[in-house]
Amino acid sequence: MPQSIRSTTAARAAVFAPVAGGGRAELVAQRLTDAIELGLLSHGERLPSETEMARQFGVATVTTREALEALRELGLVETRRGRDGGSFVIAEGSRTARIDRRVKALSRVELRDMGVYYSAIAAMAAELAADRSTPDDIQHLHATIDATDASAETSSRRGEGTFRLEVAALSQSARLVREELRLQAEFAPLLWLCLREETHRVRSREAHLAVVAAIEDFDGERARRLTVAHIAGAIEWLLDAKAELERRG
Amino acid sequence: MTIATRSSVVDAVTAVDTTFGTVFEQIDSWRAAIERHVGARHGAVTVADIDEVVEALVVPGLSAANALIIGAGFVASPGFISDAEWHLAWWLGHANTFGVGSADPALRRLEAEEDPSSESFRDYTTLEWWRVPAATDAPHITGPYVDYLCTDDYTLTLTVPVMYDGRMIGVAGADLYVNDIERTLLPHVRAIGSTATVINASRRVVVSTDPHRPTGAILRPDDAAEQIACGQTSLVLVLG
Repeated sequence: MPQSIRSTTAARAAVFAPVAGGGRAELVAQRLTDAIELGLLSHGERLPSETEMARQFGVATVTTREALEALRELGLVETRRGRDGGSFVIAEGSRTARIDRRVKALSRVELRDMGVYYSAIAAMAAELAADRSTPDDIQHLHATIDATDASAETSSRRGEGTFRLEVAALSQSARLVREELRLQAEFAPLLWLCLREETHRVRSREAHLAVVAAIEDFDGERARRLTVAHIAGAIEWLLDAKAELERRG
Repeated sequence: MTIATRSSVVDAVTAVDTTFGTVFEQIDSWRAAIERHVGARHGAVTVADIDEVVEALVVPGLSAANALIIGAGFVASPGFISDAEWHLAWWLGHANTFGVGSADPALRRLEAEEDPSSESFRDYTTLEWWRVPAATDAPHITGPYVDYLCTDDYTLTLTVPVMYDGRMIGVAGADLYVNDIERTLLPHVRAIGSTATVINASRRVVVSTDPHRPTGAILRPDDAAEQIACGQTSLVLVLG
């Protein structure tokens, strides 16, 4: 019989404490993701039913359903039907294996669409930044690029996120920044999968330098074009990687 | 220019100076209190210690109804506090919706990432609200800028260096929403009757009567436009 959730410790109880505010499905999904990453919920464990979780979190059932859907997409939960059915935690395998599973689970259409949407946000941010940046801002962007070590994957991932966020901030649009942050949380590990390879880490650095040069020249059009091309390149790599994963089965 | 418009220009300049001056006075009183406390401890301060002092200083202002300040506190120089390399003692007011997505959040502590090895860690000493006071030893207005660290919104941050034994041990500061500043200042600026724009020291637009000069844009220098410094602040009123 599958083990069900018991709030044996305060930490575990906190996992299912009520969530406040908007974006509740994301908050519920985040809470569960964190708990799985931290090992508070272990592999094979059965989560409470959608209705029971909704009661504990203090949200609507449709919200927990949405959260579980997100976790299924991340490969963190699988749902089985039948008498002994329910949603079960998947905590085995490395981060790489989990991301690979997610790449395989998403269709080509979804991956491309993700790229298009992210591109719309990031390119508009770059275009506006070119019109609204001071020499001090430019210097700050250069410092961000210099702080990134292209020989290391973790540093490059963090550097990619920081650079994009800084450019979004220079657009002076709070909504663009919030959207950039949201999309980074949702897509970044997938979108920038190419940073696994050093060639792409170097290419990313060159792309950032080119965008900064365009911003420095007040050339919004060029900043936009370079950003779109950089993101399109990352998506092409991702689709090739997906094809390769599918070939290997 | 008529005398009437001249007096409206003076009124607008005074409004800018008073609005920011009042906030700076408040921050300066926090700075003095923190310096007194650190002096009494001969520079040996712990996280628990500084948090208690800063919370008692900034929370009353954040709790006030219609408070212009939406976040406030003290950010320590790396290595100054004995039991934390990096530390932000910062509180967010009721009007600040950062991280909660709710229209009426409670007054709360900012939970900042202080572990440099974490992916979401940000080295705050590279940020303008830190860098400028550290370089000039003087109060500074940062922004308008989108602050993704403390407010998630379009913000102005006012910071003052806090000193001990001749060196900077941190900054005391406060966050204001650009929205609130626009609401406060625009009526005064509009009363001038012709195109008028308040810009910061980097020539970034804070508020303008011209709808084609968006807040956040850089106002290119124009020799024909008259520029008037707004009192003790680094802000400038540009006419025309």
